[in-house]
Amino acid sequence: MKKHITKKQFIITAIVGGIIMMATVIINTIMSTRQTTTATNEAVSEVSSFYLEAMADRRAKTVTNLIRSNFDHMDKAVEYISNEGIESQDELRHTMGSIKSMLSLNRFALVDDDKVVYTQYTTYTGGSRHPFLSDENMDKQNVSTVSLYGSSKQLCLAAPTHDLEIAGKPYRACFVQIDVSEIVDLLAFDDDGRTNFGIYSKNGENLTETELGPYISHHNLFDALNGVISEDDWNENRENFLNAVEGSITFNANGAEETLCYVPIEDTDWMMVVLIRESVIQDRIRSISEKSLSASKRHIVFTLSYSIIFFGVLMFMMKALFNKDLQEEKENSKTFRSMASTDSLTGIRNKHAYTEAESALNRRIMEKDIEKLAIVVCDVNGLKIVNDTQGHAAGDKLIKDASSMICEYFSRGAVFRIGGDEFAVILQDKGYETIHEVITEINRAIEENIKKKEVVISIGYSELTPEDKLVRDIFERADQMMYKRKQQLKLMGAQTRL
Amino acid sequence: MWSFRRKNLILSFALLMSVFLTSCSVNSKGTGPGDSVDSAESGNSAESANGSEVISSAVDFDHELDGYEPKKDHYNFYFTYKTVHPWWDAVALGMEDAQRQYHDKGITITYEYMAPEAASAEDQKERLRAAESKDFDVIGVDVADADIISPILDEMVDSGYKVMTFSSSDAHEGCKRIAYVGNTHNYEDGADLTEALCKKLDYKGKVAILVGSVGAPCHEERAAGAKDTIAKYSDMEIVATEYDMDSVDLAYDLTLKILEENPDLDGIICCNMSNPVGAARAVKEKGHDAVIVGMDHDQEALHYLKDGVIYCLGVQDCYSIGFDTIQIAVKIADGNQPGELFKEKTDEITTVIYQEDAAVMLELLYGED
Repeated sequence: MKKHITKKQFIITAIVGGIIMMATVIINTIMSTRQTTTATNEAVSEVSSFYLEAMADRRAKTVTNLIRSNFDHMDKAVEYISNEGIESQDELRHTMGSIKSMLSLNRFALVDDDKVVYTQYTTYTGGSRHPFLSDENMDKQNVSTVSLYGSSKQLCLAAPTHDLEIAGKPYRACFVQIDVSEIVDLLAFDDDGRTNFGIYSKNGENLTETELGPYISHHNLFDALNGVISEDDWNENRENFLNAVEGSITFNANGAEETLCYVPIEDTDWMMVVLIRESVIQDRIRSISEKSLSASKRHIVFTLSYSIIFFGVLMFMMKALFNKDLQEEKENSKTFRSMASTDSLTGIRNKHAYTEAESALNRRIMEKDIEKLAIVVCDVNGLKIVNDTQGHAAGDKLIKDASSMICEYFSRGAVFRIGGDEFAVILQDKGYETIHEVITEINRAIEENIKKKEVVISIGYSELTPEDKLVRDIFERADQMMYKRKQQLKLMGAQTRL
Repeated sequence: MWSFRRKNLILSFALLMSVFLTSCSVNSKGTGPGDSVDSAESGNSAESANGSEVISSAVDFDHELDGYEPKKDHYNFYFTYKTVHPWWDAVALGMEDAQRQYHDKGITITYEYMAPEAASAEDQKERLRAAESKDFDVIGVDVADADIISPILDEMVDSGYKVMTFSSSDAHEGCKRIAYVGNTHNYEDGADLTEALCKKLDYKGKVAILVGSVGAPCHEERAAGAKDTIAKYSDMEIVATEYDMDSVDLAYDLTLKILEENPDLDGIICCNMSNPVGAARAVKEKGHDAVIVGMDHDQEALHYLKDGVIYCLGVQDCYSIGFDTIQIAVKIADGNQPGELFKEKTDEITTVIYQEDAAVMLELLYGED
């Protein structure tokens, strides 16, 4: 059995479908925005880690190169001094001054066997001042930092002088001291201070006194991170520092996630630690995401508004369409009803219409709502004979002529064809008031038609009386009168079966 | 009414506390015994807590040369001090700062700054004799033993050498040296530290004194100040006085010996920079509760102070001593005598610090956080 889709079903489907479609668009947009943000964060995190690692590595190499370059210059300085044939302390000081300007060696100094230190301007006993001049360290290259009595931290590079003799006195070692702040400036120049960094000893001490972000600041790295990261992570990173293994630490401090990378600095037991505040990046990303989300929201609102307006218009149009269809349906229905109430041959109302009119009049009679009512009953004479002798077409023509004549005379009444050759006319108001004149005129015309052998109609009529309960009561009286009239017309020469 | 009284009470208390706290942790800057400020009297642990500003200025690293215009563009000095030791390394840093500032003005300062591995008046005598043979503008001496060195300095001055004393110890009163830059109140420092100890011990108990180098004026003067202070209190007794020769190891050994001989020892007075370290090591090792007071800014000693093993330390401003020594040496080299340009004795401050000051001092001097 084929099931038909109703308009209501269609509208409901359209509305529900539209809502689902809009919800899907909105949800997808939101989810897409969030996924984009998450993906961006992850990407930035990965990129920033990579960036940090590269930054730490580059800075570590800078420090290593600085150290190696200074050791190289120290070798050249010693060779230069050795070849100068220096005979006095004054000459030595002068030569050291030349070396300082030639090789850019900061605080270059020589040390003799008694640990007396010789610089460009001073000669001093330095055993207690320079721990790197201990007996166990003096015969090998040594890199260390010192922080003595209020002075800023110094990077100390010491190296043996290998049989250097000046004026017959053996010299055992040389060293340079570089202010750590100068190294910091050199490293900071690298990225214009965008990242936090520091050089750390293997026990986590900050050697550069640089601030590694607001949380760790210049504190010992492992003291600062104790309790901030898990014990396992803490131990693992501690081991990395002790064993000069690179790594990274991500931690959450004061509600902000931060990541630091550390890389061992070659030729030293230090770590280059670089930190970038992920919160800074994330704030930036969040700002971008919020803009994106805001744009998405605007997009959603626009889409929603557009959809609402669109569906509103659609609904309005559908309603209009529905109304139009309804109207047409009503019209059709009216037409159908009209067709059902119309006699197809004469075009006047038929028996069905008469029955409906009769019912309506019966209600009014019962309700005493009508006073002026008359029923005219008409019967076409000779139809049987015409049909039999001249054919049905002639019979139909006779009916049409009769109908036209009745309608012509009872123009103020409702004419119905209630049988093959029977018509009824309902007269009210004006039609009722002129009934007698009309009856007289039509009868005269009919009588003339007998002579002309044209359509002859027997007419009887009756008016509503107070005793009448139904239209039928009036109709019967009119019908009786019509039969009497038929007798009269027969006598006048009209053809009839009577 | 009750409220008014309560407000008055609070205000009075606040005023009292302000006056009380203001008197704490005052620098000792003595031009004489009367000028020596009673840092020990005011300085118990709680009282000095407010003095972080004073503690921070205990050592002045922010120096500028005065307006004196040197007559030459190159000066060459010779300085000799008692022994190779971090205390004099701190003095050297002040000297180097002055040297750099003169260099920036176009004046070259060269100098030797020499000491033996162990304090020795004889060694110092030899160094001074050797210096005489060289062309130094000024010879500066941190007197190892006043009895031995003072006459040498007189001879040198008589011979036309420009001689000054500096840092920890001056020569005997009446010595012909031109000027002295350094601690002029060693006796008072010893007395102040001992007073703090006595107060801590409630003025009763047995104490030992670790003096330092035999004959070293600063050590001997501090020990004298300590002895005189102890003598003021009838319930205090000095059970041992030892010379550690400014050696941490010797101070440690001597402290162990003193503790063994005097298990009921209540306090130890340390008169130099090395012996509080040695004493603290021994006391900590033995788990003894002897109260230690001592001198100076040794990093290890400051950690003992922070940990409560040492009760208090008298910190001298070595940096300023070094800086002022060079400035005055330049003036002396130019032929100036004490007067308007410089004092015959340029005194430097000593600040008594306590446990709660240790962290500030460690950061100030050694960059520790």
